[in-house]
Amino acid sequence: METHEEELLTGEEIEILQEIMNIAFGKSAADLADVIDTHVVLNIPFINVMQVTDLPAYIRDHVKDYRNISIVEQHFWGCFKGDALLVFSSGSGKELIRILQHGDHANMESDPVEILERETLMEVGNILIGACVGKVAELLRDVVTYTPPLIVLERHYQDAIADNHFTPDKTAIVLKTDFSFTEGNVTGLLFLITSNDSIKWLKEALRIFIAQYE
Amino acid sequence: MMLQQIFDAINIGIVILDRDLKVLGWNRWMEIHSGIPADEIRNTSIFDTYPHLNNPKFTRSCKSVYSFGNFCFFSQKLHHYLFPFKTASYSEARFDYMQQSCAMGPLRDEDNQIKNLFIYVQDMTEVAAYEQKLVQINMKDGLTGIFNRRFLEIKLAEEFNRHKRYGGIFSIIMFDIDYFKKVNDTYGHPCGDFILKSVTSRASALIRNIDYLARYGGEEFCCLLPETGMPAAIMVAERFREAIEKHENNFDDNVIKVTISLGVAEFRSSMESAHELVKNADDALLRAKREGRNRVVIMDCKQIVRTD
Repeated sequence: METHEEELLTGEEIEILQEIMNIAFGKSAADLADVIDTHVVLNIPFINVMQVTDLPAYIRDHVKDYRNISIVEQHFWGCFKGDALLVFSSGSGKELIRILQHGDHANMESDPVEILERETLMEVGNILIGACVGKVAELLRDVVTYTPPLIVLERHYQDAIADNHFTPDKTAIVLKTDFSFTEGNVTGLLFLITSNDSIKWLKEALRIFIAQYE
Repeated sequence: MMLQQIFDAINIGIVILDRDLKVLGWNRWMEIHSGIPADEIRNTSIFDTYPHLNNPKFTRSCKSVYSFGNFCFFSQKLHHYLFPFKTASYSEARFDYMQQSCAMGPLRDEDNQIKNLFIYVQDMTEVAAYEQKLVQINMKDGLTGIFNRRFLEIKLAEEFNRHKRYGGIFSIIMFDIDYFKKVNDTYGHPCGDFILKSVTSRASALIRNIDYLARYGGEEFCCLLPETGMPAAIMVAERFREAIEKHENNFDDNVIKVTISLGVAEFRSSMESAHELVKNADDALLRAKREGRNRVVIMDCKQIVRTD
């Protein structure tokens, strides 16, 4: 830990980031209602700085109550850069199909439910991740692009997150928030894992952000 | 100027839409495949030309691009296409329309404000065709066109597990062509292949579309009959036997008649695996062979059900 000391965020920086996330999620929740016609409650985000190797256990610990989960994963690239993991509780896909009335979609008629479920989770995941990451980036005066979403559908939480996926000896800023849809039984967690490479930029962006209020 | 040339030369479709979803840009690729010149479609709503795009997923995606600067993806696997274009190659009759992988995202001005959105369209028809072909190869027997053993074993295991859990009935018929080696030795292997195709096409005509007929080995076949008990399975087996016995195969001016021997087995909850069911049917088939061929024998029973 000590060797990365100069790259980590100070308590004050974490507070600013927390505030930025509060503003960002507040704004995205309002816009989300407009885009997907249902209200999403994004709870107060929690920020943690940790070794990347501790991440799988950290994520598993937070999602274990769901038992089976679906994960939508996307990478975002800008000065602000990292991975977004959106974990949905079991059954969320089917609930979302109902809420978004995907069943009526003409192109989808012949497709089995599993494909519909994947499609729906990826679409909603893509929108949710884009909304949250996009707003944080916007407040930090950055523009990000995204890779197409990947999905793991309805798997036991122990098997869903691979240990070897994470590069050792790196530190990550993990932003965690839980969300729920006001309609239907859809809940989950969003993890934004900021890459080591962007920490230097982030510190500077946070300084500029707070400077405008000082 | 240079960018405009790339815009028109690139081998993907690019569409630019404004906030009202009116077309601002329509590159040469889109002109070629849609048959609509850019001048004609420019400044008209995309829904005027492609009303099917006026669906919740598409409009939601546009909104999320403008609201969040999101990128939205329309994969070939899930959507098949956004724009119904004819396939580029005349030889590709597998799909009604060009298979496309599309994405949309924001276009910003100097102040990072989102002004328009872009859609890019990639032709995935060839890849999708290869994939379909691979799936087929994986499931079907190359010579006869019926299912292969690999696929049957997957289906058998599925059916077995389902019945183990929820109860119910299903049966299988194992059959093989009598004295098939003689056909090969007398008339040659091309004739043997012809007989294999003939036998499977007769049997295929007699089953429902929920049944699975597969080539199990050289001249051995297996038919899985879901929701079917022993009496009905015996009837199907007997129909196979009769149809194949009666049929005259004409090959190179030779009239060749063949018969088959069949073993029938029904799922029992006491069975440990699908393999055990197959073994029961196989044992019955062996008995049918021993007892004179061209007959149906059922498992656990010496009785020969032949009706003639």
